[in-house]
Amino acid sequence: MKDDFKIAWRNLWRNKRRTMITSASVFFAVFFAVIMRSVQLGSYDRMIMNFIESYTGYLQVQHVKYQDNPSVDYSFVYSDSLDRAVEGVKDVVSVAPRIESFVLASSGAQTKGVALLAIDPAKEKKFSNPENKLVKYTITSDVFDKIKSSRAIPEEIADKLEMIVGSSYSSRARLELDLGLSSSDNDLYMDNILRASAVPNGFLAENDEGVLVSSRLAGFLKVSIGDTVILLGQGYHGSSAAGIFAVRGIIKMPVADIDSKLIIMTIPAAQKFFDVTGKITSLSVNLTGKSKRTMSGAQAGIGKLLTDKSTVVKTWEDLNPVMVQQIQGDSQTGLATLAMLYFIIFFGIFGTVLMMIAERTREFGVLVAIGMQKNRLKRIVTFEMILLGILGLAGGMTVSAPVIIYFYFNPILMKGDIGKMMEDIGWDAVMPTAWFGPYFYWQVIVVFIMVLIATIYPLRKITKLKVIEALRS
Amino acid sequence: MKVLELKKVNKIYDGSEVPVHAVNDVSLDFDEAEFVAIVGPSGSGKTTLLNLIGGLDMPSSGEIIIDGTNLSKLKSSQLIDFRMRNIGFVFQAYNLIPVLTAKENVEFIMSLQKWPRKERDERTLELLNAVGLGDRINSRPSKLSGGQQQRVAVARALASRPKFVLADEPTANLDSKSATTLLGIMETLNHGEKITFIFSTHDPRVVKMAHRVITLEDGRVISDDVRE
Repeated sequence: MKDDFKIAWRNLWRNKRRTMITSASVFFAVFFAVIMRSVQLGSYDRMIMNFIESYTGYLQVQHVKYQDNPSVDYSFVYSDSLDRAVEGVKDVVSVAPRIESFVLASSGAQTKGVALLAIDPAKEKKFSNPENKLVKYTITSDVFDKIKSSRAIPEEIADKLEMIVGSSYSSRARLELDLGLSSSDNDLYMDNILRASAVPNGFLAENDEGVLVSSRLAGFLKVSIGDTVILLGQGYHGSSAAGIFAVRGIIKMPVADIDSKLIIMTIPAAQKFFDVTGKITSLSVNLTGKSKRTMSGAQAGIGKLLTDKSTVVKTWEDLNPVMVQQIQGDSQTGLATLAMLYFIIFFGIFGTVLMMIAERTREFGVLVAIGMQKNRLKRIVTFEMILLGILGLAGGMTVSAPVIIYFYFNPILMKGDIGKMMEDIGWDAVMPTAWFGPYFYWQVIVVFIMVLIATIYPLRKITKLKVIEALRS
Repeated sequence: MKVLELKKVNKIYDGSEVPVHAVNDVSLDFDEAEFVAIVGPSGSGKTTLLNLIGGLDMPSSGEIIIDGTNLSKLKSSQLIDFRMRNIGFVFQAYNLIPVLTAKENVEFIMSLQKWPRKERDERTLELLNAVGLGDRINSRPSKLSGGQQQRVAVARALASRPKFVLADEPTANLDSKSATTLLGIMETLNHGEKITFIFSTHDPRVVKMAHRVITLEDGRVISDDVRE
């Protein structure tokens, strides 16, 4: 075996350039495949983390029929003891109760169908944290005229400011990004702009009976802080739900569609409004991680706590089938790209094999003639092929590993429109790599399989080798 | 002592439109320590006969018996094993394993036969010294001249003490000096090792040194002269 390995290793270096080129092709295939897959899986992880942890939670307790028919009729009894019990389940990090439904919102002559989200303001901080989305700055035409007439900013900055008249911002960073000023201009003029555009905004107290209105909806309804909105909807089991609510604050939702139709209130106010005292429509649960084991363990643990048999514990995958499908679809596309990459590389390896066979048929004949069994010859050739694969594989994995580690801890910053969009949504505009996992180790298997397939040809050739013909070749 | 026996051996190639009778009804015996040259014009069947004797090809009819074993009765893997243990080969184009050194090439067959390391080393050095390459044991074939490579090939053929060595035109690619040196070495080893050498050759120097000359024509043995 040792001698076979020695011969295989030396054979590999008979044609250094060819071995280097073939190994390099495997190296690059592995490197790009690993990095591509790592970035892809890393972005999925981040997307899931952003979306799931800030909204649906990894698990959600719901009425069994609620997902198909999101009505307060399918609410369930919620209590602090349930809350505490769920928080006590292994791997549970936080919980957030909610009531979600649809109502008509009206102010003056304006009426619109809107989504109503009732929250526990303290607990919701660990999820969607609406307090962070309160509008802090609004560039109205009055604000613009005031800044311009005060000559607090130069003409070219005024032109930029005019472009965003009508926009609201929940953070200074976002306003700076939209204005696109240089850092020196930021230092010189931002304070003036912020002072003029600052909006005094409020948030919901624990048992507040007021509401937060999304900024586009507030514009449509022509309401601002201190005004009131009338909400009209269907309460529990057909009862009518109607009420007048003071606007405590305006929030800026990053997705335009949601920003044009969201009203947030406290759970006690919503329970009173919908006549669902003591009930909620969902209890979102965040966990320490999203591994199948963690989720199924927590799901089972929470399930045991539910005495109401009409309630179920759903996973984020159950709650977001479209997102899961999108990830799966994108992942499949990524895998197809990798398959093509490997397919091309396979032919590179196979080309080497063909050349090797063409060059060494006579030598194979000599070896068999002087007494080497064909099986031993096959073993040597298989070693050569495996070593060829290992060279590229080891190189690819060794070089890609530090790249993965670096970008895991220093994610790629997303710039441009994609970056803005991600920040608008409230996500980190970064694209990290995924930490080492099966995708990394799978490269070994893929390359190994490729090499074995490519080895079939020389093994077949050796099996069918006719010594006389080989010696004449 | 008889080491090789050919009984009415025929080899007919059916591949072309007209069957070619490459070896025609050949019956020969070879004894231990013979130094035999098989001569004849091109196409007379010399190489085919050597291939049949070496078990590299199978006769269309007849029997080839080496040390009591009929080659036709052996399975493919048994035949390879039999060759390894009983027959040494010297090829016209040397055919050393290019990635192995002279020493490794010579000990290759012994390692296939699982000889103990110490015996292998001793035998290898003995043979490489005998062929005058004791100072080139770590050279790869690409670093040796044609004559030196052929001497390594002779050492390799003799390494495992086969019953006989088959050499197909061993001097064809060598210059005169190298050929003479090689023949001298082979004759010495033939005497020293008591191993039968069978050559196919056109080279009159080989013929001159042979103790027995078998002449072939159109696949038939037309003469078999033993010299004193």
